[in-house]
Amino acid sequence: MTNVPKRLLDIRDRTAIAGVGYTPFTKDSGVSTLTLACRAVLAALEDAGLSPDDVDGLATHRVGDSAAPTLVAPALGLADLTWHLDQFGGGSVSHAVVGQAALAVATGMAETVVCYRAINARSEFRMGGTGRGVPVSPEVQYQAPYGYVAPPQQYAMYARAHMLRYGTRAEHFGRLAVTQRANAAKNPRALMRTPITLDDYLAARWIAEPFRLLDCCLETDGACAVVVTTAERARALRRPPVLISAAAWGGGMSHLSGPSADPTVTAAAALAPRLYAQAGLGPRDIDVAELYDCFTYSVIVQLEDYGFCAKGEGGPYVDSGATALDGALPVNTHGGFLSEGYVHGMNHIAEAVSQLRGDAGDRQVRGAEVALSTAQPGYILPATSALILRRP
Amino acid sequence: MAAYRPEPDRDSRPWWEGVARHEFAVQECEACGLSRFPPRAFCPSCRTEEWRWRQVVPEGTVESWIVSHQPFLPGARDPYLVVMVRLAAVPGGLVYGNWRGEGPPEYGLRVRGAYTEVGEGLTLVDWEPAGAGSVHRAGNPPDR
Repeated sequence: MTNVPKRLLDIRDRTAIAGVGYTPFTKDSGVSTLTLACRAVLAALEDAGLSPDDVDGLATHRVGDSAAPTLVAPALGLADLTWHLDQFGGGSVSHAVVGQAALAVATGMAETVVCYRAINARSEFRMGGTGRGVPVSPEVQYQAPYGYVAPPQQYAMYARAHMLRYGTRAEHFGRLAVTQRANAAKNPRALMRTPITLDDYLAARWIAEPFRLLDCCLETDGACAVVVTTAERARALRRPPVLISAAAWGGGMSHLSGPSADPTVTAAAALAPRLYAQAGLGPRDIDVAELYDCFTYSVIVQLEDYGFCAKGEGGPYVDSGATALDGALPVNTHGGFLSEGYVHGMNHIAEAVSQLRGDAGDRQVRGAEVALSTAQPGYILPATSALILRRP
Repeated sequence: MAAYRPEPDRDSRPWWEGVARHEFAVQECEACGLSRFPPRAFCPSCRTEEWRWRQVVPEGTVESWIVSHQPFLPGARDPYLVVMVRLAAVPGGLVYGNWRGEGPPEYGLRVRGAYTEVGEGLTLVDWEPAGAGSVHRAGNPPDR
């Protein structure tokens, strides 16, 4: 069942992303997440042609692993923010952060909000769990004693469920990894730019069967930020504005929550209809999709749950070449977390902006007007978030 | 011993005490009769707080599994198999455990819980094909 809000104020296209900023992506930044956050925030403001004195809002998401807005603000001399958000959560809330900023701007709570994610995910806090403490959550006691504790294991479990039910094959995951690497080869920012073949994929060592090393995202040190302001103001700034046509989060029940448990369906299936309704668009209107790719399988299941193909058809859809740069739906044009780097969702949003501004260089999708960018689809927490962005 | 010992919470402590006695209990809503697992205060269907324990035979079917190679927890060395089981007694109840079958699992295979003593008073529930023996001493998967 999908809840479509009945009283939603029309926020479609009222706010825009006016700038994006990055730090380099590395395996060891050598600096604190506070430093990374400040660098990315300043880079995004520079891109937008704004000064730090224009900022009245800051927002991030984190899991106790990064600098809060209340730390970044004084570090950059930002006095008296009128709005800020320190969202607890992993990838599933990554796009909700920008959605919340859009609401703050649309209502006038703030005029210029910088959303950032700063992470030392390789040198300090490895998401994969190796050397990291077990997370605190009621479900952990029923899983961790069996050695089942890390996202690669959890996603591998769901991936095999999909393989068993629908015949999805290792070669489908491999084709996705190969395609995204080809995109990264055209992205100067990407950590992994050497092209790979399906044989390379199949020869990679096991992490958690059915996942091999090349099914898993890169653990990355880096930061990324985007500037959210009113559409009107964005039009007057340095870069072409990218409108926020829809922002949705939620998605309800997980496989842990209730009798509808189906490990091959994510929270995105419930969220997608209201996301599209908010934008007044559908899957066929999407020109480019940056789909949260913590693992190969997460892209395949989202292709289904966001309505680009039928349930169970995600693997063959990728195998058909549809998600390549010259395909019907170019996906993860920057290389994604698998090959560009892992900034926990924010670099997907920034890449969508780049594609819609037409400044994506060799990997530019010609004529891209509408982009979908998505968060972790809600396997680990029973919620997800997503944005539809468009060129004015 | 387990690389990670479960930390029972206020909702789950009696459940773990039952497992130590080789009893597998699920909650049953007093109002609507819905069974649920893992333990928590409210029925997600009728949102009432009154419930009772119901002892069940831990049975279900194999939904999926992984063979974990990367040492995500200290002490894990050899690959080990974790299975996801759809509990027969609980609608939508998915549970996890290590695999105690001779051969690999199969999708939809009927399985039952196997109580495993892992040392220092801790009992865990692993899974094996329905019809095999039932009490195990800890060994590999995972190295605990």
